[in-house]
Amino acid sequence: MSKKVYFDYASTTYVSNEVLNEMMPCFNAIYGNANTLHSFGRMAASVVDKARDRIKNAINASKANEIYFTSGGTEANNWAIRGLAHAYANKGKHIIVSKIEHKSILDACEVLEKEGFEVSYLPVDKHGLVNLSELLHIIRKDTTLISIMAVNNEVGTIQNVKTIAKIAHDYGIIFHTDASQAIGNIKIDVQDMEIDAMTMTAHKIYGPKGVGCLYLKDGVQIENLIYGGSAEHGKRGGTVDVPAVAGFGKAVEVAVRDMVINAQKMRNVREYFLKCVHDRIEYVEVNGHPLQKVNTILNLCFEMVDKESLLMLLDLEGVAVSAGSACTSNSLTQSHVLKAMGLEDEVANSSIRFSFGKNLTKEDIDYAVDVLEKSVAKLRSISALTKAGRK
Amino acid sequence: MYSEKIIERFVNPKYAGGLRGANGTGKCDNEDCGDQVKLYISVNDDNVITDAKFKAYGGVCTIVALDVACSLIEGRSLDAALRTNYYQILEEMGQVPEGREYTANLAVEAIRAAIEDFYKKQEKVKK
Repeated sequence: MSKKVYFDYASTTYVSNEVLNEMMPCFNAIYGNANTLHSFGRMAASVVDKARDRIKNAINASKANEIYFTSGGTEANNWAIRGLAHAYANKGKHIIVSKIEHKSILDACEVLEKEGFEVSYLPVDKHGLVNLSELLHIIRKDTTLISIMAVNNEVGTIQNVKTIAKIAHDYGIIFHTDASQAIGNIKIDVQDMEIDAMTMTAHKIYGPKGVGCLYLKDGVQIENLIYGGSAEHGKRGGTVDVPAVAGFGKAVEVAVRDMVINAQKMRNVREYFLKCVHDRIEYVEVNGHPLQKVNTILNLCFEMVDKESLLMLLDLEGVAVSAGSACTSNSLTQSHVLKAMGLEDEVANSSIRFSFGKNLTKEDIDYAVDVLEKSVAKLRSISALTKAGRK
Repeated sequence: MYSEKIIERFVNPKYAGGLRGANGTGKCDNEDCGDQVKLYISVNDDNVITDAKFKAYGGVCTIVALDVACSLIEGRSLDAALRTNYYQILEEMGQVPEGREYTANLAVEAIRAAIEDFYKKQEKVKK
């Protein structure tokens, strides 16, 4: 195997040079503890402040101290769900999330249920859009929190976040959104979109792994996450990872700065890839919304082909894809997202996600489609499912 | 996650494909995982399986388990083939990752279903 092509950018990206350059001095030159008062600490604190400012500007938050750094999206999602639910528990113990949220939301909800909260799981349509009339139907007097992801990580569908936030506020409910896949793909303005709390992560936007943040609108209450020290306004103790935070700030700034030009490039990449696939492989369906979706994610169903076998054949030829979100692709369970969208088991079991990034070339795509065509043909030739048996 | 032995067998399964002239076909599925398999056998007048093939819609281990099943029953009598068990298939597969052991069961069921189908067809012929 010689050539390797990466189609799993929605799982994680490499760190870009611009980001790396921002991080490097923080490993050995700017090494003070950002929570100390001496000059070394102040130098580190100024790096952290700069990163917080960059993120504040990128999402149009009103204050930099509305950004709370975390170890990533999972932590921020866990914190948002549990921290907000508990902070408003005196008002009510009912929260609403969609059925297609990331596991870091859904698993946190399970914990809440064990703690005596009630959680309603909002259904989605066949394109992955949450059902707004259903949302109105399940809102209750004791609902305190609604959390709906901005962009789905498996199919790329973009939710109507602004509308959902408005509905939440009409009923005096806090609104949180997981924007891990949204930053750099769609414009996020937390004030205009009336977002109260928002999860972001660095490693999907050419930043380092292990860092993310929770945006929390001034005045919104949340339970502290980690006790010990004054870091993150006393809500999440621990010495700040200055290099990671510096890289995160830069990554967000670059993602928003280059959003329009990247969107165009990614659309071209996706369309070219899809055209090649359709030209050369029969019985391929696109999962997700036909229009309201990000350009970086393409979820395809290769009928009569098992996703794990296909993923393995592709991998053996150097083509890296995902059979769902990274956090669940090791498990045998079906994608909860595709299931919630009402797709048949055989469609869900035959679907894989291609996600695109800045480094992909036409040559990469041509190679991947060659491998894909051969792999699909090989698996179909031994498949127990037949064209005649297609639904 | 997968051993080289499993990957090698997955990439080059000796018994994958249809079988012209098969006189027994076993169809099985695993609802939880969505696997669907077919095992074809060709049995001669001495009740010996002369050929075995399979088709599978399933993951890496499903394909390997069915390939192993075919290799274990080809050339054997129906009675001997019926005695093929879960542990034999697992052992022949090599290191099966946790959670994929069910594929060996699926393969055993497919063998039994194919033999059962063969006997049913024989009875029809007699009638």
